Amino acid sequence: MKKITEEKLPELYSHISQNHDLFVPIDQDDSVNFSLWKDGANVNFDVLKTNTSPKKYIFPQCETFFNFKSEGKKLTIERIKSEEKPYVVFGVRPCDAKSFRLLDNVFLSEPMDRLYEEKRNRGIIVSMGCNEPEDTCFCNSFSILPNSIQEGVDVFTLKLGNKIFWEAISENGVELTNKLSDLLDDVTEGDLKEIEIAKSQVNEKVKELPFSNIDPNEINRDLNELFQSKIWDEISKSCIGCGSCTFVCPTCHCYDIQDYDGNKSGERYRCWDSCMYSEFTLMAHGNPRTTQKERFRQRFMHKLVYYPNNFDEYACVGCGRCVGKCPVNMNITKVIRKLGGENQ
Amino acid sequence: MEEMISKMKKIAYEDLSTKKVDRVIGFGKGDFIYEANPIFISNLEEVDLLVWDLFCVNNLSKYLINELKNYQKIGIFLKGCDSLGFNQLVKDNKVDPDNVIVYGVPCEGMIDPNKLSKKNLLKDLRYLRRVDEKLIIVTKQGEKELIAKDYEYDKCLKCKHPNPVVYSELLESNTLRNSILTDDFEEVDRIEDMNSEERYEYWSEQFSKCIRCYACRNICPVCSCDKCIFDNLDIGVSGKAKVDSEDQFFHIVRAYHVAGRCVDCGECSRVCPESIAIDKLNRKIIKDITEIYGEYDAGLNPSKSSVLVNYKLEDFDPFETSKGGK
Amino acid sequence: MLLESKENLTIDKEEFKPLIVAFCCNWCSYAGADLAGTSRLNYPANIRIIKVPCSCRVNPNFVLRAFQNGADGVVIAGCHPGDCHYSTGNYFARRRLTLFTSLLNYIGIESERLKVDWISAAEANKFATVMNDVLEKVHKLGPNRKLRDVRWKR
Repeated sequence: MKKITEEKLPELYSHISQNHDLFVPIDQDDSVNFSLWKDGANVNFDVLKTNTSPKKYIFPQCETFFNFKSEGKKLTIERIKSEEKPYVVFGVRPCDAKSFRLLDNVFLSEPMDRLYEEKRNRGIIVSMGCNEPEDTCFCNSFSILPNSIQEGVDVFTLKLGNKIFWEAISENGVELTNKLSDLLDDVTEGDLKEIEIAKSQVNEKVKELPFSNIDPNEINRDLNELFQSKIWDEISKSCIGCGSCTFVCPTCHCYDIQDYDGNKSGERYRCWDSCMYSEFTLMAHGNPRTTQKERFRQRFMHKLVYYPNNFDEYACVGCGRCVGKCPVNMNITKVIRKLGGENQ
Repeated sequence: MEEMISKMKKIAYEDLSTKKVDRVIGFGKGDFIYEANPIFISNLEEVDLLVWDLFCVNNLSKYLINELKNYQKIGIFLKGCDSLGFNQLVKDNKVDPDNVIVYGVPCEGMIDPNKLSKKNLLKDLRYLRRVDEKLIIVTKQGEKELIAKDYEYDKCLKCKHPNPVVYSELLESNTLRNSILTDDFEEVDRIEDMNSEERYEYWSEQFSKCIRCYACRNICPVCSCDKCIFDNLDIGVSGKAKVDSEDQFFHIVRAYHVAGRCVDCGECSRVCPESIAIDKLNRKIIKDITEIYGEYDAGLNPSKSSVLVNYKLEDFDPFETSKGGK
Repeated sequence: MLLESKENLTIDKEEFKPLIVAFCCNWCSYAGADLAGTSRLNYPANIRIIKVPCSCRVNPNFVLRAFQNGADGVVIAGCHPGDCHYSTGNYFARRRLTLFTSLLNYIGIESERLKVDWISAAEANKFATVMNDVLEKVHKLGPNRKLRDVRWKR
């Protein structure tokens, strides 16, 4: 394990960004979001939750499959080649890191998603543990500890005071660490003790959070019964059908494929879609989910029943972004409770 | 507060039990002390869930469109800004006022949890209360007295109608506050003072933050089309691609579509997950209307038609050039 | 992300041929354009006329899409107020376009790029002057990059 002081971080950033695109949480206009690091950027690791999740680097909101062009009677199709630099995402919280794994289940099982795979392999994930969980956090309900090292993470870091501890996990992580060896110092015995204390402290804090008694395992996962349940009528009433929850969610991964028709040339692209929208999965015969209740149910059944049935894990990591962003304060914690997922 | 809550419960209980209404829309308490959410009540037992506090910020009026499909007569609690939205829904023929009983609730201004959070006051918040212009909060560390204005929602700071403009019954309280503000459109002026390049840069940056969640559209009481053009794939307008031109297209069309009908309730900016300055677009249009066509009164009078569905022969004509050519 | 950068568009001013889209009302301005043609008046060839039943038919979406898809300037022309074939159409259009042009200007589109004018069926001269005037102003401003969809190829 290595360490670096906060003052030396800009040096670290500029070192990394020589060969990589570096994405860090940047504070701009009072809101913190992952963005490309440039000299003088206002990096903020104190805000726990970025507005949107870092999933946009492995699964962008919009990406093009191919371009097409017509000249006379000839139609040419041109694949998009990726010529982008490798990238580093620095500051991915354990919940978000877990969400990458959940997306992998979907996109990296056969048939493999070419675009996703390419982006996933090009990136290095530098995760960062949390010391001060917020009221809206409920990662513990999905067995994610705020200081845990998630599978698939290349480097794990932890910020204590003005020290950042740096631990390489994967081969890629070791390689990056070696390149930065001039900037990183070795840790002392005292540091290790400090880390131990911080870890156990935060694990205690997590147990006292308002949502700590939420436990999706308590839900009776009888698909038929849940699907027909009367509860959906009641709790979907206040949903206004916007897509904020789906678009800030680190695990939502539904997309739509559309063509852009631009005069003589065009492109086929995919973009995020939301099950809350009326034209979601629109087919020739119309929409299979005609009311907001059915769309609302789809979202939570997907996260709590359909996905677990396929992959044996919940498609929620308890980051709590939807809790903070929903315009009418309806969110997955309320749904889980209504479905009986609560520890007494 | 407690007095208001008991009044609310009383009136809801009375009207539900005498079958004057068969549904009541109001506010209920959320998971946190700083959270209130819309609730829908048909059973007498549920009346007890009604609350009124400093976080009942949602505009409930738009729920009437859907609820009236299933219920005959609805009672609804509306604040000043919500009542403007209600009037506009009536004007747009979306809601029949004969089927609605409006319980008017005077509002003191709602508190923005994000502003509390920025000052680290949200965590361990146990209790908070407003006494005139002061906000008294109790946290683990003890009691604190703050200036309420510093923590109100931006939209509440600009509020011109704290008291309902339409109601069947007004739940009076001793906290009736009067409109204090004269609208100076200061934030619009600031953008107008830039040159066109700067303005374009400013708005491009704002719009490019958009994640196209359509929360601004869906929360808006005057965005009430049965099928929005952005949900309609058949007409070739709905471009879902995340490119700047589509983001700009959405925001300009949205703002212009509510021109003359926007009641300036500020919900669009409140719900935007990326804090885009959406209301600065709406308010530019309001400013223009005020300057060119006289006082802006959307939502004040449901029988008077909107600016854009009306005209006068002597309207200001910015386009007239000298006739004829060479 | 996909904002068309200024650098990409340093086209030589000499080579720059502005594309102007003109929405002309069927009853006045379109007939005016016709007359301009039959009277052999000079007006630039890079103006694409789109016939609309009335100036109030012009939805703001049309204007935005025109800018997105390659227009350097847009003209909306209708009957003089009071002369509308449908009696009142252009009175409504006048209010709408007053607000819309102001809104676009607020977003940062130069006001010279969106021109609204009233041209009657007899005003062939005015039609030609207005078009020449718009073209000249747009030419001076250079190619439009604002609102442009980068995916669109001319």
